[in-house]
Amino acid sequence: MSVIIQENMSVQKKLEILSDAAKYDVACTSSGVDRKGIAGSLGTSVASGICHTFSADGRCISLLKILFTNECIFDCKYCFNRASNDIVRASFTPEEVCDLTIEFYRRNYIEGLFLSSGVLINPNHTMELICKTLKMLREDYHFNGYIHCKAVPGADSSIIEMAGWYADRMSVNLELPTTESLKQLAPHKSRKNILKPMKQIQLGRIESMESPIFGRISDKKLKSKYLMQDELEDNKAMVPEKSSVLGLVKRPAINRGFVPAGQSTQMIIGATPENDYQIMSVAEALYQKFDLKRVFYSAYISVNQDSNLPSLTSPPLLREHRLYQADWLLRFYGFEASELLSEQRPNFNVLIDPKCNWAIGHLEQFPIEINKADYYTLLRIPGVGVKSAQRIVKARRVSALNFEDLKKIGVVLKRALYFITCNGKMMYQTKIDENYITNQLISVKERLPYGIDGGISFQQLSLFDDVNFSAPNLQEFKSGIG
Amino acid sequence: MTVKKIFVCEDSIDGIFTAIYDAWNSRHGHTNIRIELQSEDGSVNYELFSEYIAVKTDSEKASKVDRSIKSKISQEAYEYVFTASCSDEKEKGDLIYRFLILGFSMGSSVVNYLGNDIVSKIFDMNRNLNNEVHHYLGFVRFHEIENGILYSKICPKNDVLRHLAPHFSDRMNTENFIIYDEKRKTAILHRTGLSWVYTYADNLNLNRLEQFSVQEDEFQELWKVFFESIAIKERQNYKLQRNNLPIRFRNNMLEFNNDKKFR
Repeated sequence: MSVIIQENMSVQKKLEILSDAAKYDVACTSSGVDRKGIAGSLGTSVASGICHTFSADGRCISLLKILFTNECIFDCKYCFNRASNDIVRASFTPEEVCDLTIEFYRRNYIEGLFLSSGVLINPNHTMELICKTLKMLREDYHFNGYIHCKAVPGADSSIIEMAGWYADRMSVNLELPTTESLKQLAPHKSRKNILKPMKQIQLGRIESMESPIFGRISDKKLKSKYLMQDELEDNKAMVPEKSSVLGLVKRPAINRGFVPAGQSTQMIIGATPENDYQIMSVAEALYQKFDLKRVFYSAYISVNQDSNLPSLTSPPLLREHRLYQADWLLRFYGFEASELLSEQRPNFNVLIDPKCNWAIGHLEQFPIEINKADYYTLLRIPGVGVKSAQRIVKARRVSALNFEDLKKIGVVLKRALYFITCNGKMMYQTKIDENYITNQLISVKERLPYGIDGGISFQQLSLFDDVNFSAPNLQEFKSGIG
Repeated sequence: MTVKKIFVCEDSIDGIFTAIYDAWNSRHGHTNIRIELQSEDGSVNYELFSEYIAVKTDSEKASKVDRSIKSKISQEAYEYVFTASCSDEKEKGDLIYRFLILGFSMGSSVVNYLGNDIVSKIFDMNRNLNNEVHHYLGFVRFHEIENGILYSKICPKNDVLRHLAPHFSDRMNTENFIIYDEKRKTAILHRTGLSWVYTYADNLNLNRLEQFSVQEDEFQELWKVFFESIAIKERQNYKLQRNNLPIRFRNNMLEFNNDKKFR
């Protein structure tokens, strides 16, 4: 391991190195918890999250996103900070992190802190440093804003628990969707080591919401409210039965709850050969079994040369975009992964968003009458989002809605018109036919995030293509087979 | 031919409410009445066959309107109207008047009547203003002046100061700060532990407010360093950046000062 450590490095230099090293971590949301101010403390949290600025890549900046240190004993192939890379190494002191956070926060540059870290010496040592920083920020600097930190896989459960009392959100990165990929690219990490703290945090959250005292809640209570029998067995395997779920530490005096904004994770997309169906299934399982708040998908960017890595010239951004769209459908629209994709059709269509794609494949369920359908049925209509569905439900209490009203409400009619009726009538006479509607919808140009045009990503997506994305398949799709 | 009566009032919620009170009392028939805002320089584009009535803002009349909205329609409707009155929509006076006519006949359900043109316009104004408020929650930049006082200058389209104030006073209850709207020359002042004050800012000493404290430069520099290094160059996307952070917000944001990358 070659490590270059510079003594007396300025805070500015450290910030440059350690924010640069943290930039590949996707999570920058400050959402999930609403917390009012406390007299004498600096800061609040807003559930919807607040973006404070947008960087040159167009991504939101809401948190001071840094690594505590970029020294790392692990050698994950895809990571810039891996032990075998010959790069300048730096570490903050807890005081430096606190000062930066407070002064940035006062000037309203940020919504809080996102603290990750390379693994310095060992997981326990690293987790202790993170925990110490958080404690200092909360107790000495009286910081009441948002804090997101990592749970380092392999660290002792009592240190992870302590950090959980100080943090708003914690995350353990899944890194790669399958065990095999993990073995190949992140040899020092194991699936089990990643899932264990994830489970611990989930159970800790349940325990802290259920009862204000320590001590394990009976299996029965857990079972009835949150968990299925088979998961209970998993829990027993991961958490010793006799001990508390938590590591039994004395919680801090100011009780904000245990990881109140929930936990998240991220997967790297495009470094390994998993298809979209596998990825969505993993995400769905994480939402259901681990009660995650968010799963982030990170288009693989090649920062290292390695024979085990694909050589991409640019990250697969359109694929990432489709996964986020589908993720949204899982979390807010009541869809299941198996409705959107299957073994036979394991990847999303580049030309059409997942919801339109689903609707075209299920024309038998349409058209839907706007004035009668329940909320979740409305949500399944292409062109109707969460907000417009809520507005429809509200507005039709006063009077029956027509197409003009829907337009005002914000429904995207050029997409919705093939799938709805208002008072029994469709907007135009239109064929209810898969081919016809598909062609119509493709000609309605979808508004993709700027810069994600078909061009680059089209190529990228075909890197592991087993299906769907090549030109002949496009023909197939258009003719209704795809 | 009926002569149209045009009530010209001050651009403030009290001004609009006074005009509504007078208009209602004139019993001239709602269709023959219009409420118009005074322009900043006091000029009026006179229309033929119209009678112009200058409304003198009267806080007692205004509070009567205020009370009847809350009791005869709803608190929710009041909040919509208040927010609409802070909008930069020129027709807002008349729209609020029409909305209230509807509200007094329909009661609290008026806020759900989204199919109606007036109601949907009031909602658009609310949405527009609330979006701008949300943007400013993040885009406000403070700099520290002597004695640790924090100062921010903004130039919003809508009159958002009073919508921003509760958020920042709660969040920074330990700080003394000023947020100054340079377009309207109004400001929010907050002192540690006290509640905020909304005021005309004619007498703020702007020169003094632009003086930095000793450590201010250092943190501004650190922020710029962070802002640069956090961007991933493989994903560079200035159009997306501009879409998310329109240029009109950037004047007072230090990370965009001297930015030649506007595209």
